Amino acid sequence: MQSPEKHEALRLRGIGITARRAEGRLRFLHRVKGSRRSKPTLGKEAEWARLSAALAAGRKKTALLYDRALQMLGENEARIFEIHAMFLEDEDFLDALRSEIFRGMSSEEALERASREMEAMLSALPDPYLSARAADIRDVSRTVMDFLTDDAERAETDGQPYLLVADDLSPSETILLEKSQILGFITARGTANSHTAILARAMGIPALVSVGTLDESIDGAYALLDAEEGTLSVFPTDGEIDAFREKLKSDDRIALAHDRYLRSLLNKPAVTKSGRRILVYANLGDSDEVAGALANGADGIGLLRSEFLYLGCSDYPTEEQLFRAYAEIVERMQGKRTVMRTLDVGADKRIPYFGLPEEENPALGFRAIRVCLARRELFKTQLRAMLRASSHGRLSIMLPMVVSVNEVRESRRLLEECMEELQRESQPFDSKLEFGIMIETPAAVEMCEELAELVDFFSVGTNDLSQYTLAADRQNPALDALFRENTEPILRMIRKAAAAIHSRGGWIGICGEMAADLHLTQYFADISVDELSVSVPYLLGVRGKICECN
Amino acid sequence: MKEFSCRIEDPNGLHARPAGQLATFAKRFLSDIRVRANGKEVDGKRLLALMSLGATEGTELSFSVSGEDEETAILALEVYCRSMNADAKSQADQKDGSTHAEP
Repeated sequence: MQSPEKHEALRLRGIGITARRAEGRLRFLHRVKGSRRSKPTLGKEAEWARLSAALAAGRKKTALLYDRALQMLGENEARIFEIHAMFLEDEDFLDALRSEIFRGMSSEEALERASREMEAMLSALPDPYLSARAADIRDVSRTVMDFLTDDAERAETDGQPYLLVADDLSPSETILLEKSQILGFITARGTANSHTAILARAMGIPALVSVGTLDESIDGAYALLDAEEGTLSVFPTDGEIDAFREKLKSDDRIALAHDRYLRSLLNKPAVTKSGRRILVYANLGDSDEVAGALANGADGIGLLRSEFLYLGCSDYPTEEQLFRAYAEIVERMQGKRTVMRTLDVGADKRIPYFGLPEEENPALGFRAIRVCLARRELFKTQLRAMLRASSHGRLSIMLPMVVSVNEVRESRRLLEECMEELQRESQPFDSKLEFGIMIETPAAVEMCEELAELVDFFSVGTNDLSQYTLAADRQNPALDALFRENTEPILRMIRKAAAAIHSRGGWIGICGEMAADLHLTQYFADISVDELSVSVPYLLGVRGKICECN
Repeated sequence: MKEFSCRIEDPNGLHARPAGQLATFAKRFLSDIRVRANGKEVDGKRLLALMSLGATEGTELSFSVSGEDEETAILALEVYCRSMNADAKSQADQKDGSTHAEP
């Protein structure tokens, strides 16, 4: 694999994204730029058919990106793909494309012209929010262009897996990287907190970002990517290669041994050396993930994002539909606890029939329990469905985004109302089901003693709690370090909430990203956290770590 | 032909998402739905066209509906716009620092 030519060894530094290593040839991602006017057209009808096929493929891809983004990043980030889908179905855009084709343009040229026209129209609007949508037109148009030009966006390869080099990668490009083809990627720009980085981490792809401009003369060169150290060695010396391969071998050995060790823990309770049991639960976004959770030894479900049933519909799901889906999940968990979070939607979530308007600050907006308490019929339908499902297994109900005692009292009252109704209708339910809240706001932490009086459990959503406590937008890459360096206030808040709920006999779990941070597991054990809820890929790692804790 | 007007109360104006939702809603009807604002008139079933109105908070949208289901369409659109504004308002109230809507 080593390059035969004599080259000066080149060492570059960047921000390592996934703490892994990979070796292989560098392949630059080339984007086709400029005019495609020279391309001969196939004739109007044939061109229109070709463009229509590319548009259809583009729509499919956008839907796929939405689903993948939704699963990996959540609804907020997936929204961009929702707007992309609408653009690709827009009649004016399609009309413009059609008229370009029937004027004799090639598909590529028609697409370029029509999207330039739309971009110009949008950028000319005085409203900055609307004019910013021009960039989205550019994105979707590039998506369609890829289907027209086929190989235009790919790196030139010999079929061997490679290290992808690009100026930057968009989330939509990252989310679609084929793990069998891409050993890792290197970008000139980018940040550690970007959506691209989050995706790379989730996909387990070694990546190095922000390395600065790379000279294309190294395209095809052999290189060593060490994302753990944050380095890239191009034209490495024999000594470097040997040392690197030793590291790879030991990584493999460690990974294998570790994997075997973790598998051996699968069906054993997670207990610290001092004998404290911590439940390892799964965060699920969909009922499809139940099997994975069970296969990875989940002791229960710590967070079921109940929105999933509302997302795929064009109208509100009925109580019967919700009940059937919830009951099925509870049954499949075979007596293990399932914590269902009530609807967490808002202006930033993709459910068109809710008719919620766009907001300037969706994170601080009309969402979650606020929507539920304002739309009681909607809320009661969900509560009734959950109550009915509770007779099929062990179900707990959890409220999101609580800031006040009143919200909990009012929700509890509605829950009791639902119980009375069901009783009158002779519908079975578990009258002793646990009722809890998420701790996601500084207000809830401050009020935790009063709140603890009203509920059976707390579950800390550390992502939102960090965002609201540090007054920092999690999507802003400039604040990356701020989040990393300021976990202490969040940990103190968790300790305070834990003490409050424990003194009243309740339990506390953590379901945000911090739950999966193995550096914090010992601390959580020390403050007697009862449950850690993480996404399926982290279940075994957390279980293993708990067993190593004191 | 049936007509009605409504003022946009969403502080963000008629954005990509609400415009897309409005267009999707309008497509349910057979009638021709035209929307006028800022001296422009567009097809109310088209997203980019609606966005091109550049309708911000306070902009008056005038709807003209004509076709076989115009009676139903105009009523439905009025209700739709009212609920769009109600949502915008409840959200604006939140921004003013008040708590969630009381029952």
